Amino acid sequence: MTESSANKPANGQVCHRVKNGVKPGRNGFIKNHHHYHHQQPMYCYPEDKVQHTACNGSSGLGLYSRPFIESFEETPMLVAVLTYMGYGILTIFGYLRDFLRDWKIERCHVAREREEQRDFVPLYQDFENFYTRNLYMRIRDSWNRPICSVPGAKVDLVERVSPDYNWTFDYTGKVVEGVINMGSYNYLGFAENTGYCADASAEVTMKYGVGVASTRQEMGNLDRHEEMEELVAKFLGVESAMAFGMGFATNSMNIPALTGKGCLILSDELNHASLVLGARLSGSTIRVFKHNNMQSLEKMLRDAIVHGQPRTHRPWKKILILVEGIYSMEGSIVRLPEVIALKKRYRAYLYLDEAHSIGALGPGGRGVVDYFGLDPRDVDVMMGTFTKSFGAAGGYIGGRKELLEYLRSHSHSAVYAASMSPPVVEQIIASMKCIMGEDGTTLGRDRVQQLAENTLYFRRRLTEMGFIIYGNSDSPVVPMMLYMPAKIGAFGREMLKRNIGVVVVGFPATPIIESRARFCISAAHTKDMLDTALSVISEVGDLLQVKYSRHERLPSLD
Amino acid sequence: MAFEDVWKKISWLYYQYILVTALYMLEPWERAIFNSILISVAGMAVYTGYVFMPQHIMAILQYFEMVQ
Repeated sequence: MTESSANKPANGQVCHRVKNGVKPGRNGFIKNHHHYHHQQPMYCYPEDKVQHTACNGSSGLGLYSRPFIESFEETPMLVAVLTYMGYGILTIFGYLRDFLRDWKIERCHVAREREEQRDFVPLYQDFENFYTRNLYMRIRDSWNRPICSVPGAKVDLVERVSPDYNWTFDYTGKVVEGVINMGSYNYLGFAENTGYCADASAEVTMKYGVGVASTRQEMGNLDRHEEMEELVAKFLGVESAMAFGMGFATNSMNIPALTGKGCLILSDELNHASLVLGARLSGSTIRVFKHNNMQSLEKMLRDAIVHGQPRTHRPWKKILILVEGIYSMEGSIVRLPEVIALKKRYRAYLYLDEAHSIGALGPGGRGVVDYFGLDPRDVDVMMGTFTKSFGAAGGYIGGRKELLEYLRSHSHSAVYAASMSPPVVEQIIASMKCIMGEDGTTLGRDRVQQLAENTLYFRRRLTEMGFIIYGNSDSPVVPMMLYMPAKIGAFGREMLKRNIGVVVVGFPATPIIESRARFCISAAHTKDMLDTALSVISEVGDLLQVKYSRHERLPSLD
Repeated sequence: MAFEDVWKKISWLYYQYILVTALYMLEPWERAIFNSILISVAGMAVYTGYVFMPQHIMAILQYFEMVQ
């Protein structure tokens, strides 16, 4: 098998293979990537701040200047079989319940047509909601929990009970206070109601009000918007940037402006729904390459250039590669140096969606480009959102000046959507200045470092406990595998009983047997909070028996 | 005291059974249906084994010509 850059160790050292045997996975690169076995430095979580930088800059030893450690441990066979069995039992009982509802033996809570319209073409498609009615509803109390405080490191939840098995909820009137928040995308801790950013937003609200009542093109272009866009361009290191009110709309409305019929979009297998929607709306041909697999991408690029469009064999008008910085369900980081090398070689364009990685990776918090030490001008379209690390809302696109001038007049979102609200804009400006260090304090830099430390500590402790954790060891998104459907609901409820709020995810956001709990680390979490959370996670993990990992772990002396 | 520990252990084992077979998500009457079907099938298998095991063992031994 030819050696590819995926199999070579990242910085030229001899690779110590994992003891329990390594088989090449289906994707063409080794599934269990453990380059570092005994070489982990001792992580002293100290009063003396050790510099935990997340990148060293390029050193010329190949494409990666620091080790790229990702692991996606395979599902244990027994667990997979039992998970399918569990879903089978739930399906049988689902059919039974549907039968009872249809024959009116049981009361039906689902939307139905009115009696007079029974013989019309059905409006609510019954069978398609089978999963929602019979599986999702039973454990629905783990989602949509109402929050009544700012979603910082700790959050207050409104307590609710359900008398009829989650079809309706009643509020008891009490509030569960001080729940440790492991679910919010609060990577740098800017979701707060005190401090410099909140004060600046409050001042701007006093001056400009809250609503703008127009689109950017008409009367909604405030001077704060101009300042914010210049600041974003400076932060990213690009020529020009533009901001939109909604992150989802940024992707879905701008990709159609960039490509059209006769263009080819190469999109990663696990791209977010907004990217998929934008690609479909554009009308281009879409081809999907395997997740983070550079051999698959290269093969598709070569095929596209050699064969051209499907029937006429004319060359493609343009080829656009859609990738994300951090994939939020897997916790994996894109192999950006290789993607850029491929893009340059085959003359394609690159659209990088940094929704989760901006602010969270890199020594300066400038995202995945900074993390790998690459040149931001190599990425043609840098997109990101302000929702995750900046504590605001909205999305941006950055790139060359000509591209942005084109988007300002041709994008649906720019022309038709209302402008961003002034306090949100001010929050973005204040938090970005804080991260860049322009407000005169080292708060931003401290937060970025704190996040990197927290991430490494949390991931290391969880893998030592024996859970299966997916993703790159530097990503602040930590998915922990649960697999069985009953354990999804049980995990959410048990954690809430012990005062920790987590997000659990199942089908259809993940493959059917790979349901998981996803933790999002924040710079606002102190070490005590993380230790409390870890001990509770271990306790619940023992109670539910979710410590599935079969690798040997050497616990560090911490 | 020992009875308490045994009861806790059995309770924990029942909880694991409930989680693995996804009965945790079902309502109590659905659990009752599933458990009764499972117990009746298992009970029938045990009873059949008990009744027919001597005859089957004799047939095997006769096949291998170890006893007339």
